[in-house]
Amino acid sequence: MRLTKIFLTVAAAVATASPAFADNMQGITDKTIKIGNMGPFSGEAAVFNPLNYGPEAYLRYINAQGGVHGRKFETVFADDACNEAKGIAAARKLIYEDKVFMLMGVPCSGVAMAIKPMLEKEGIPWVGPAANPKLTRPTVPAMFHVTYTGIESGQAMAGFAMSNPALKKIAIVEHSNDWAHGYCNPASEYIKSHGGEVLERIAMERGSTDGTTQALKIKSIGAQAVMGCLYQQELIILLRDMQKFGVTAPVIGALGADFDQTVQQVNNPAAVRDKFFQPYQFKAKIGTPALKEFEDMFTKYLTKDELPKAGPPTNFYYFGIPVAIVTVEAFKRAGASPSREKWIAAMESIKDFDTGVLADKINLSKDNHVGVQRMFAVGLDKDGKQTIYSSWGKAQN
Amino acid sequence: MLAVLPQLVVSGIATGMLYALIALSLTVGYRATTVVNFGHGEMVMAGAYALFVFAGFGLSFAPALILALGLLFLWGALTQRVFMRPIISGPHLSLAMMALAIGYAMRGGARLRWGSEVVTLTRPYSQDVFMLGPMVVTMDDLAISGFVLVLMGSLSILFYLTPVGRLVQAVFQSQRGAALVGLNVHAFHAMMWGVGAALGAAGGALLGLFLPLSPDMGVWTLVRGFAAMTLGGFGSFHGAVIGGLLLGVMEKLLGFYINTVFIDITAYLITILVLLIRPAGLFGRQTVVRI
Repeated sequence: MRLTKIFLTVAAAVATASPAFADNMQGITDKTIKIGNMGPFSGEAAVFNPLNYGPEAYLRYINAQGGVHGRKFETVFADDACNEAKGIAAARKLIYEDKVFMLMGVPCSGVAMAIKPMLEKEGIPWVGPAANPKLTRPTVPAMFHVTYTGIESGQAMAGFAMSNPALKKIAIVEHSNDWAHGYCNPASEYIKSHGGEVLERIAMERGSTDGTTQALKIKSIGAQAVMGCLYQQELIILLRDMQKFGVTAPVIGALGADFDQTVQQVNNPAAVRDKFFQPYQFKAKIGTPALKEFEDMFTKYLTKDELPKAGPPTNFYYFGIPVAIVTVEAFKRAGASPSREKWIAAMESIKDFDTGVLADKINLSKDNHVGVQRMFAVGLDKDGKQTIYSSWGKAQN
Repeated sequence: MLAVLPQLVVSGIATGMLYALIALSLTVGYRATTVVNFGHGEMVMAGAYALFVFAGFGLSFAPALILALGLLFLWGALTQRVFMRPIISGPHLSLAMMALAIGYAMRGGARLRWGSEVVTLTRPYSQDVFMLGPMVVTMDDLAISGFVLVLMGSLSILFYLTPVGRLVQAVFQSQRGAALVGLNVHAFHAMMWGVGAALGAAGGALLGLFLPLSPDMGVWTLVRGFAAMTLGGFGSFHGAVIGGLLLGVMEKLLGFYINTVFIDITAYLITILVLLIRPAGLFGRQTVVRI
């Protein structure tokens, strides 16, 4: 009788101490795994939705191969419009009405941060490309970054610039928002800790139509290089206006812009050749044989509306796909009867895993939910040829 | 630091030309109807996209621009006739909300079609850069300033030296009086909203020459245009122009010499200060504004 009482007390204590997972099999049936794919399908940030379509192409590819342990992936799309309030409503619908197993995507850091408490409370897994490092640092049981956060990217930006010994005095041009600080704060810390100097942090707000003041500031303070934590439109304006005023300092941009589109829209080779660089996430150049299988996957499994209106799939499609590749790998490892706990344990077991896309291999553990570190840089060389660099002036083979 | 002052002023004037055009287009609509069109930014955006669509049919820049302006003239007139006229005697807030709602609907439509892609216009000239002493002037600066000056000159002649201009003045001064002497005030309102929309569209087309098009590009133009209009004085054509130029220059100077954060907030600061200190603006007159 006494033993029974002790057993019941311990059982009750264990039950109440466990995370408040509503149902650790939610979203999983004998035949399907339901995934919530949330992102900016409308609104001014809709240019980022290839980050949602990239992983979707991979899930459709896996489904075409028969799925994982006999289960096929069923995606429920949800539009957050890159808006926190809409994101919370969309996540609530996915979790409580659609009852998805996990959330994938959510490229906008502000939205991802806004829904983080809900994900934590319900124990819903998330894997996505949102760059805010606070999503996975400190470690949250069910949240994983298998792509680069602002810390890795910011350090890569600064590291690439400072691999040129002549570049020590650096200016930062940034939006006044959390996203930009997520890149430029780590870049600034890296510069200072490696013997460089941050001359000035110059604001350039979203929606800016002119970069004259910023370009003249960069010139007047004598910056040798610029960290540009800017979205695509403002980055284009800065590059154009720096060229206009003869500012020759190279610009290393953050990952809020698509490299190819930026170069195309600057529409002035002299403004970008050997002057504009970005951290590069991939193991090889897009369009080369090493990444051809993914291009084929996008064009085969995505619809016309999900692909670019013109031209081949862009950088963001490739940057999205590792999210699905690693998620699927964890389902494979979790076995024939997956649960959230098994899937999380499977994610944490992934070591030296080559996604086939990223520059680095995935390494996760119980204490580390950020899977990748190493990045390259991409730029146009003096002849205008797109080149992947391992350090300044040194092409990656 | 003073060495860059001339450059800042020249660049500020070039930017201010665009603000002046947008303020002028707002003023035309306001002057005719005494209603500020809070959906005007979307007319600017629609002008840029209309040019993009017509250019996509293989038309060269000039005919595509003329068609785009014509389309926006019709849309502006239709907007006034269908949406604004039925409630023109209603509360001011209803008019403001209607204008805002039309703007949002237009933005939503543009997002639906172009929200996930970045499109650009092709310049009808090369991207040359000229040195004016120590100052840099681009072909964009010259083209935009030249176009806006020609447009302003034409409008000045139209509004100050022709019978049409006298009609505008008459309706602005007294709509009841204009109606009493036989003017079709309703048709006139629709026509002037059309002209305002077409001028805004011209601003959008010029903006699209150096910026990628975006469904949200009208938002900042309304803020800048409104600030320039406030600074120059509500209803004043030359006030709108001078307000736009001053705003362009002040953004550059405050941004460079104080902090670049000021570039984005100058328009708001000007609006607050002018409304507090001199509500009529530099050249406006004290009047009741229907918003």
